[in-house]
Amino acid sequence: TEGPPSCPKGCERCSEYNGCIKCRPKLFIFLERNDIRQIGVCLASCPMGYFGMRNPEGNNRCTQCKIDNCEACFNRNFCTKCKEGLYSHSGRCYVSCPPGQRTANETMEC
Amino acid sequence: SSGDRGAAGRAGCPGRCRCEVDGLLHRVDCSDLGLREIPSNLSVFTSYLDLSMNNLTVLSSGALSNLHFLEELRLAGNDLSFIPRGAFTGLYNLKVLMLQNNQLMSVPVEAFSKLHNLQSLRLDANQISSVPIGCFSGLRSLRHLWLDDNSLTEVPAEALSELPALQAMTLALNHISHVPDHAFSKLGRLVVLHLNNNRIVSMGTNCFHGLHSLETLDLNYNSLVEFPTAVRSLSHLKELGFHSNNIQSIPEHAFTGTPSLITIFFYDNPIQSVGRSAFQHLPELRTLSLNGAADLTEFPDLTGTKSLESLTITGARITSLPSSVCEQLPNLQLLDLSYNQIQTLPSFSGCESVQKIDLHHNEIEELEENTFHGLMSLRALDLSWNRLSSVKPNCFSALPALTKLDLSSNQLSSLPLIGLQSLTHLRLAGNTKLMQLLPRENLPRVRVMELPYAFQCCAFVSCERRGGGGGGGGGGGGGASWEREEAAETSVLSSQADQDWEDFLMEFDDEPKLQHSVHCSPAPGPFRPCLHLL
Repeated sequence: TEGPPSCPKGCERCSEYNGCIKCRPKLFIFLERNDIRQIGVCLASCPMGYFGMRNPEGNNRCTQCKIDNCEACFNRNFCTKCKEGLYSHSGRCYVSCPPGQRTANETMEC
Repeated sequence: SSGDRGAAGRAGCPGRCRCEVDGLLHRVDCSDLGLREIPSNLSVFTSYLDLSMNNLTVLSSGALSNLHFLEELRLAGNDLSFIPRGAFTGLYNLKVLMLQNNQLMSVPVEAFSKLHNLQSLRLDANQISSVPIGCFSGLRSLRHLWLDDNSLTEVPAEALSELPALQAMTLALNHISHVPDHAFSKLGRLVVLHLNNNRIVSMGTNCFHGLHSLETLDLNYNSLVEFPTAVRSLSHLKELGFHSNNIQSIPEHAFTGTPSLITIFFYDNPIQSVGRSAFQHLPELRTLSLNGAADLTEFPDLTGTKSLESLTITGARITSLPSSVCEQLPNLQLLDLSYNQIQTLPSFSGCESVQKIDLHHNEIEELEENTFHGLMSLRALDLSWNRLSSVKPNCFSALPALTKLDLSSNQLSSLPLIGLQSLTHLRLAGNTKLMQLLPRENLPRVRVMELPYAFQCCAFVSCERRGGGGGGGGGGGGGASWEREEAAETSVLSSQADQDWEDFLMEFDDEPKLQHSVHCSPAPGPFRPCLHLL
């Protein structure tokens, strides 16, 4: 069921000033920054640098990754895609592999 | 040129899609266009294709078979309930496949078998109740698997055993009630496992056998009644969560096999008893928080848990602390033992980094000279709601950073003021025998005070501002609660209980103004003139 026509796609409840307030089930709400305003939009997958946190109440939110040099993450502490040129190991990103770890250049992993 | 935006309809850019050409490769975004089928004239050099949030109900076999360069395929937010065997044929270089938010009731049996380079597979937010044996065979490069928010009633152990490279997996938000032994035994490289928000009642003692690399285990929001002893085999575990379950006791040696633990979240469990040795030998543990363990009568033995920075044990029945408490916890910054039955205190001198001590609602009767001696970082000390009747003269003499002292609701008849020059907040209300005047010169920086009697505020409230209003800072009559007055004065306060007005006020200018205003209650109003005291 779609929300009111004035609401953006995938949104159940919105306000003129803040965009979407509540997304349809299973979607993630992402707060886009627009100057000092935050505009809620509903996404099936979160943008780069964010991961989707689901919860039983359906208030699924895009949450920021907390890992240095990471472009995409599985949760706050586990990176799934490191920035260009960096090596990934156990969900973290390294300029060079930690001691004792062999470098796999084809997949940029340790 | 790289990043060239191709107009919709041009060769390789299907109608109304948004395309970018990056050297040889094409990034094609056809999301949210109401499409009912996959566009046909896609360039063979398409490396990224976003078809999410459309109305696709079918993926015909071979529809994408010429896209040998495709690395990321997004099909989230469509109406796919079935995926045929050949749907992904030809996608030899596919690394990311997103199928979340569709109507799948089962993981496709064979559709993924040729995706040998696939690293991330999203199947979350479907209605999957079945994960057929062999459905993941061929995914030898898969690192990240999302199966959360589905209808699984059991751990798909057989299917998962064919994912040797898996590093992160979520089975959260399903209906799993039991985790059998060896459920993950072939996942030796798994680092993250989310099982939160299921209905897990029981776990095999060897259910985590084989998870040699696991660092994060999330069992929050389940129905566990027993402590998950299976964690003992997880020697690399750093973060463990089992909060919001029904666990009543934490056994002796609970974490013997997990010496790498940095954080353990287990609040919102009806924990009554804790093995005295339960939290021993956890050299990386930073925070330990235990609330309401009513059967806990002895302070835990924390030998070998020397990195603890925050220790909270409230609502138990601890009566005393070991004299070695600071030897065991040299890095302690926050100690909260409120709501216990502590009668005597050891010396905290060894806890040199401690910044905050909460001991309110205990049964402490006296403070010795050395109880808090030499705590150079101590900022806040709360001893309210005890039975304090005696405080040795130099008890507070060596506390240069102490800004907040709460001794309210005790039985003090006198208060030594030596060493309290840094105080900005002092609470003494409820000490009915404490009649002494508090000389302003001993408390040069105090700004908020709550004293037993109004006349004691006269020294801190300038004469012309006496009267019906509040003393000093004005607002509210006598007896208004400290927090409410503070809130009125200092605009919006953080709603977090612990990160409350104290930390906010710490940012205030610390340099004492010559004659700053002091908010003192109970305010000496019209019926309690100060004149006769001057």
